[in-house]
Amino acid sequence: MDDTPILQVSGLVKDYPGVRALGGVDFDVLPGEVHCIVGPNGAGKSTLIKCIAGVIQPTSGEIRIDGELVSADPSAALAQGVATIYQERDLVEDLSVSQNIFLGHELRRWGLLDRARMRRATTELLRRVNHEGISPDILVRDLRPAGQQIVSIARALSQHVRLLIMDEPSAILDDTEIETMFDVMRRLAADGVGVVYISHRLDEIRRIGDRVTVLTEGATVASGLPASTPADELVRLMVGQELSDLVPDRAVGGGELLLEVKGITRLPDVKNVSFELRAGEVLGIAGLVGAGRSELLRAVYGVDDRDAGEVLVDGNRLPPNRPDRAIAAGLGLAPEDRKSQALLLGWSLTKNVTLADIGRFQRIVLRVRAERAAAEEQLRALQTKPDDSERPAQELSGGNQQKVVLARWLLRRSRILLLDEPTRGVDVSAKAELYRIITELAAQGFGVVVVSSEIEELCGLCTRILVMREGELVADLEGSQATELDVLRHAMPSTQEMVATSTPPTGGRGPTDGEET
Amino acid sequence: MSTSVPPSHARHLGPLAIPSGVQLQEYTLAGVILVLVAVGAALKPDTFPTADNLRAVVTQASVVGVLAIGMTFVIATAGIDLSVGSVVAAAGVAGGLLVDNGSLAFILGAIGFGLLLGLVNATSIAYGRVIPFIATLAMFAIARGLALQMSGKSPISLLGSDGVRWFGTGKILTVPVSVVVFLAITIGGWILLNRTRYGRHVVAVGGNREAARIAGVPVRRIIFSVYCMTGLLAGVAAVLLCGRLASASPVSGQLLELDAIGATVIGGTSLSGGKATIVGTFLGVMVFAVIFNLLTQLNLATEWQQIVKGVIILAAVLIQRPGRD
Repeated sequence: MDDTPILQVSGLVKDYPGVRALGGVDFDVLPGEVHCIVGPNGAGKSTLIKCIAGVIQPTSGEIRIDGELVSADPSAALAQGVATIYQERDLVEDLSVSQNIFLGHELRRWGLLDRARMRRATTELLRRVNHEGISPDILVRDLRPAGQQIVSIARALSQHVRLLIMDEPSAILDDTEIETMFDVMRRLAADGVGVVYISHRLDEIRRIGDRVTVLTEGATVASGLPASTPADELVRLMVGQELSDLVPDRAVGGGELLLEVKGITRLPDVKNVSFELRAGEVLGIAGLVGAGRSELLRAVYGVDDRDAGEVLVDGNRLPPNRPDRAIAAGLGLAPEDRKSQALLLGWSLTKNVTLADIGRFQRIVLRVRAERAAAEEQLRALQTKPDDSERPAQELSGGNQQKVVLARWLLRRSRILLLDEPTRGVDVSAKAELYRIITELAAQGFGVVVVSSEIEELCGLCTRILVMREGELVADLEGSQATELDVLRHAMPSTQEMVATSTPPTGGRGPTDGEET
Repeated sequence: MSTSVPPSHARHLGPLAIPSGVQLQEYTLAGVILVLVAVGAALKPDTFPTADNLRAVVTQASVVGVLAIGMTFVIATAGIDLSVGSVVAAAGVAGGLLVDNGSLAFILGAIGFGLLLGLVNATSIAYGRVIPFIATLAMFAIARGLALQMSGKSPISLLGSDGVRWFGTGKILTVPVSVVVFLAITIGGWILLNRTRYGRHVVAVGGNREAARIAGVPVRRIIFSVYCMTGLLAGVAAVLLCGRLASASPVSGQLLELDAIGATVIGGTSLSGGKATIVGTFLGVMVFAVIFNLLTQLNLATEWQQIVKGVIILAAVLIQRPGRD
């Protein structure tokens, strides 16, 4: 293999007014290599590839392709063999595969389109990426997302390609589709093409990458590490700390009684569950999928009806089926699926934050400026990004959407927060932020219930952990003592006997390791 | 935590960027109205661009306009009310039966009966969980039947009631009364939708019912209220219509529901809920009214007016269609 790098990036800086998007990026890509770039959301990955593709002009630093300096001109970059496949698919859905592939550089004969030759060339390109099964004449609209991704790659190959840049292509693909795409990438690399693969899924690096570069806050904190670098090490580089350090000091609990749940039942999901929540406490609810955890929260909150049992807040009984009354009593629910159950995606952040407490801003008519100011105050306190409260919620990352939901309940002055899978679909550094927020809220006297499928998260975060199995509460564990294994053994139906007899094996990964006694 | 702004923020162009969908649609409609007026002025310079004619245009629009404001609230919740045209007739007849007791009795009777029929819709939809299309389709038939039954199938003359006729022919400072009512309801509707908790809740219910419920919005009460509102406004529309015709006819108000829905939809309110605009609805009503007036002046038959109206609705909905998904 030739050792001259296809791509050499050195000292790359890009400043926007008031913002340094890239502050020193260095890495190189060798022929035949798949080079992964990882980093949390907002690390500057997209800015970086736009610089390489010539779409934007870097402030300083060098980009060389095959040793030659690249100018900020997309067509010049293309001519030098740089092809970029962006996250948003940029195909014309109503054109055929072959029309898309030759869009903009159609083959012609006597001034007319040479459709037969384009079709043949398309078949040839698809064969090169091992997908000759795709008909050149089918409309792109009728292809699955993975198929469309393949067509994008084939289009890149229709011109001379030295370097293929792929921006989080896996975000929209399912597992088998991702594997298909990886196959194509491996074939290209075997042909000597250099591939830059951007992702924030650490598990993909080892599957496809040769080397990995870590980007954080616009700078490379590690460049060209072997792809076999352990995920923990990469996380540490990305967030600047160990995974176990992500969780701040555990909430101690022990405040006054906030919430009492007595014998709540919603068949078949929840059977006779009772628990108490105190101020200053983070109460985890663990269990396998289908154990009835979300259903329990929903029944307590009153989104779903209950067959039996009662819920008391400050000693007062909450009526069933009345989320509004639960909210008035001080509860707030951050549901499992933010997009379909918590947010109005087309609405501004302001309106999403104030939805549960909009009456506060109404004198005769709504005071929209006061509304916006109050929403912004909460969003800022949680360091929500972006800080422009007029942008629609759908533009935010998962972690920031979760903050919008939290801001809603903080504005409402809720004291009892029921958080259902609060860190699902959230990247590592945003998770760390959410842990910090949850712990701080508990320290301020909130009572927090966290349902999570990530047991290590609960073990690191919670004062107590309740374990549910098949709708019943089967264990109440001290958070600082509980290990992932303890929780799992209670959660698994078949290991009931083991709980009584076996001694716990050593180990158990995650934030519990080496933590306070 | 670092205080630096992520680079993704740099992509955001701020409030100077392209206006959002709703605003864009409103500008477009205003432009369409201007073009129509200009065309009218060019083709019929003597009769179209006169104060009298433009006043007539808005007067014509007021009945549909009042209904369309209510329809905007219903559609904002992702519902529909097919019954308003029939309810207008039934409300007019109900008022007509009381007109001997004075014009106030007519007004209260009409509005009260409209509200009552709206209440039936509201109950069956919000608490009986009948889907709005079916519940109001049933009321579409029931209300028309009631109008025919109560009136003995013949119009009730209101020529003797100056008070009722004032709503059709009277003026307040040169502005026709029905126009004043229409504008007042439009402005009131705008404030209610955009500047009250109630309006926010209405749009939230249409935008994401589950999220609204979890945020404490009284979903059923909101849904109940919007159908009461369309019933009540159908009563108001009946007063305006009967005042203009000087009679309460059991066959009046046919297809008004389609005009109201059409105007709301071309205004930019989304049939799938969650996005509503009173300004858009107002402009949608005016587009229909100007076209109607123009085609009448050009002596085009009513069948052509129907075709044009349908094409406009279709075009507007096609334009609104989201690009993907």
